[in-house]
Amino acid sequence: MGDLLAGFAVALTPANLLWGLAGTTLGTAVGVLPGIGPALTVALLLPVTYNLDPTAALIMFAGIYYGAMYGGSTTSILLNTPGESSTIVTAIDGHQMARNGRAGAALATAAIGSFVAGTLATLALSLTAPLMAKLALAFGSAEYFALMVLAFVMVTTMLGESRLKGWLSLLLGLTLGFVGIDGLSGHARFTFGIPYLLDGIDPVIVAIGLFAIGETLWVASRGPAIDEVLPVRGSLMMTAEEWARSWRPWLRGTAIGFPLGALPAGGAELPTLMSYAIEKRLSRRPEEFGHGAIEAVAGPEAANNASAAGTLVPLLTLGLPTSATAAVLLAAFQQFGLQPGPLLFEHESALVWGVIASLYIGNAMLLVLNLPLVGLWVKLLSIPRPWLYGGILVVASLGAFSVHRSAGDLLLMAAIGIVGFLLRAIGAPVAPVMICLILGPAAEQHLRRALSISQGDWTVFVSHPLSATLLAVSALIVGLGILRKPRTGIESNHEVE
Amino acid sequence: MQRVLAEIEPGVSVQVDNVPGAAGTIGLARFIQSERGNPGALMVTGLVMVSGVLLNGSPVSLAGTTPIARLTGEYEVIVVPASSRFRSLGELIDAFKKDPGSVSWGGGSAGGTDDLLVRLLAEQIGLPASSVNYIAFAGGGAALAAVLGGQLSAAVSGYAEFAGQIAAGQLRVLAISSASRVSGIDAPTLRESGIALDLSNWRAIVAPPGLSDAEEEALTARITKLATSPQWRSTLEQNGWADEFLTGPPLRQFLLAEQARIEDVLRRLSANNSRAPTTLAVTLTPSSLPNAVAMIFLGALALTAFTTTRQSVAFDRQGMRMTVALVTALLVLPIAFVTAGFVASSTMLFAIASTTLRAQSLSVRAIAIDLSVGAAFSIALFLLFTRGLGVMLPGFF
Repeated sequence: MGDLLAGFAVALTPANLLWGLAGTTLGTAVGVLPGIGPALTVALLLPVTYNLDPTAALIMFAGIYYGAMYGGSTTSILLNTPGESSTIVTAIDGHQMARNGRAGAALATAAIGSFVAGTLATLALSLTAPLMAKLALAFGSAEYFALMVLAFVMVTTMLGESRLKGWLSLLLGLTLGFVGIDGLSGHARFTFGIPYLLDGIDPVIVAIGLFAIGETLWVASRGPAIDEVLPVRGSLMMTAEEWARSWRPWLRGTAIGFPLGALPAGGAELPTLMSYAIEKRLSRRPEEFGHGAIEAVAGPEAANNASAAGTLVPLLTLGLPTSATAAVLLAAFQQFGLQPGPLLFEHESALVWGVIASLYIGNAMLLVLNLPLVGLWVKLLSIPRPWLYGGILVVASLGAFSVHRSAGDLLLMAAIGIVGFLLRAIGAPVAPVMICLILGPAAEQHLRRALSISQGDWTVFVSHPLSATLLAVSALIVGLGILRKPRTGIESNHEVE
Repeated sequence: MQRVLAEIEPGVSVQVDNVPGAAGTIGLARFIQSERGNPGALMVTGLVMVSGVLLNGSPVSLAGTTPIARLTGEYEVIVVPASSRFRSLGELIDAFKKDPGSVSWGGGSAGGTDDLLVRLLAEQIGLPASSVNYIAFAGGGAALAAVLGGQLSAAVSGYAEFAGQIAAGQLRVLAISSASRVSGIDAPTLRESGIALDLSNWRAIVAPPGLSDAEEEALTARITKLATSPQWRSTLEQNGWADEFLTGPPLRQFLLAEQARIEDVLRRLSANNSRAPTTLAVTLTPSSLPNAVAMIFLGALALTAFTTTRQSVAFDRQGMRMTVALVTALLVLPIAFVTAGFVASSTMLFAIASTTLRAQSLSVRAIAIDLSVGAAFSIALFLLFTRGLGVMLPGFF
């Protein structure tokens, strides 16, 4: 608790409050705007925050992550085009509520639910992360490798239309990750004699290409679309009945979102789907689902915010990103020479706790930003779609160029963008590419390190109980296909997370 | 360094250009080729670049530059966890001699200073450099968790990487790689332990090739002024760097000697590695896993292509045209960016994207509006980035 209080001292300095406000505002904006998400936004900001104080930059990035979870719901409710993959589920009943003239109540239950879940889940993060960090100290290379294998398996099984397409994305990410000089031996791999490739493929360029360019091409390929933005009707104050129908889904959503976010299951998509399915089963009025049931907005909205906090647990304590945004956040830590992992809490106590404390403050800011000020965000939706995507392309190319000030990066961005488009076109998930690009080389290094330490003895992976368990679970998931994405009949081609 | 330079030579503008890539060898090549004869360009180099040149098979080396001055050095320490059975360097060396593979050493990247120190140490005590079970991490700090967790026998890196844990008593320093004891660090030198080896992670300033003697002398004088200033002293102290100032012929000799000993150890290392599987019995080579993954990827790709074409994805025809237009614009962008500058190319990109996505019959008025919105947006971004955030962008219009 002392650490957390010290963290508040860091987060409450005027400068850091301002960065937090900037992050939450920007996060809400990108959440509201379709086509850009938190992963892309953080990636775009990385080059320009290079000279910033790491604590300030990370507070802003965390604010963006949380903010996008709030902002996405506004678009889902008023536009029926989800702003984020995490708010696809919200769009079903949220948009129906708006059609029925209850947009105010839908926005309110989403924002208050996000606040409740965000705060509770941040509390859970503050409690579990230090414990997890202590446990993680005992992790050796064998355990890390096994954990990453589990992450690969879960991410590919959970996302996408079919297993094959999930694996395709996984393998693409792994292959791209191997490009460059091998950190363990100094050998160049997959560089084809091109010096440009020696440093490997920058995850920031990949994030920009996959999410900004790929998404824009995908939107373009579906032809012109006309969106109708519904006006905010109905009071933002919820009635007693709406409160009564909302609070249980909020708590259940939190309970689902936090642990699932912490598991390597690819972020917020799965928890929101599960929350929807559970609320439907528990409801006394299941026939209302699909026609504007408030529970179907309250539960998933709480779940997506709780999962954002959950994602931070493995990211901070193990250096293990479980969603595309977390993968970019990991790159952000590394840009500042920080290595998330068990020692981060020891070495950078003020920074970690400062960021965690800023999440509590950010949640309060976001409640204000998203409820009384919701009208401002709705205006963002009136930006003509062609200009929005034109702007996205310009900002994306600017961001890609500023990483190394190299025109070659622009070409790489375009190439990755085309790949991102093709993946979307065949219905393959995009997020595993990003996660595996970052996790792949790390997993390989841990594998080879474990083998070096054991002097080539492969049994280390089964003689250590923890790594044996993790590998067994992974094998079961692959072999038996126990885990299936819950069927809700919801089509999702949006992978912008 | 540019901060000190700006303080003692006000009015001189110092621009720092970080060229990333392959232990600095990409920057080195660019420096030698494009700055030839320019006394206004300097480059910071160091031990890491010497080995980087050799490891990457770089066609250029430090011999192609004009050395000006060696400025600083950082010493390496060998540490073990406080609970380790090795109480002294002697005990560690004994175990190492008995079974080289059983002692795992961790440190920064392969071919870096940490790696070199262990290899040089092995050769000093009569073991082949390739017998070292060296486990590379992203840096000394990343190796820290592994050594504290007891997965490594010992870790090697710059003192600063471990200073916190050493002070807290979690790590024990067995030896330091300096020639003589360093005040404030309670550790014997390697020489005290009977190993005739010292290694410093030095940093030096070099100028491009093709300078006249007068230009070289003037530069040396300026750097000497910097290195003797009180501001530089306090910078050294703040960062815990040792003062290893050296110029002129002794510097040239030093560089040649460093190059020779590093080249030797790396050559013997690669000769041994390519001959036979080493005693380490590490079954994975650096390329086996990537190749396997790439093969499976191609297989999955073929399978997906096969199953997907049978379903034949239905595309909107107009949509396809729009996509192709955008892709073309994006592929032209890198060239436009460099030749026409940011504002012009971004305005075009914006206008092309907007016009395409609007998908209405072309009207001059709509295109003009798109162009002006794009120009306003691009100019605003340009000003924000160049003036506000200090990012350099090519060209104005």
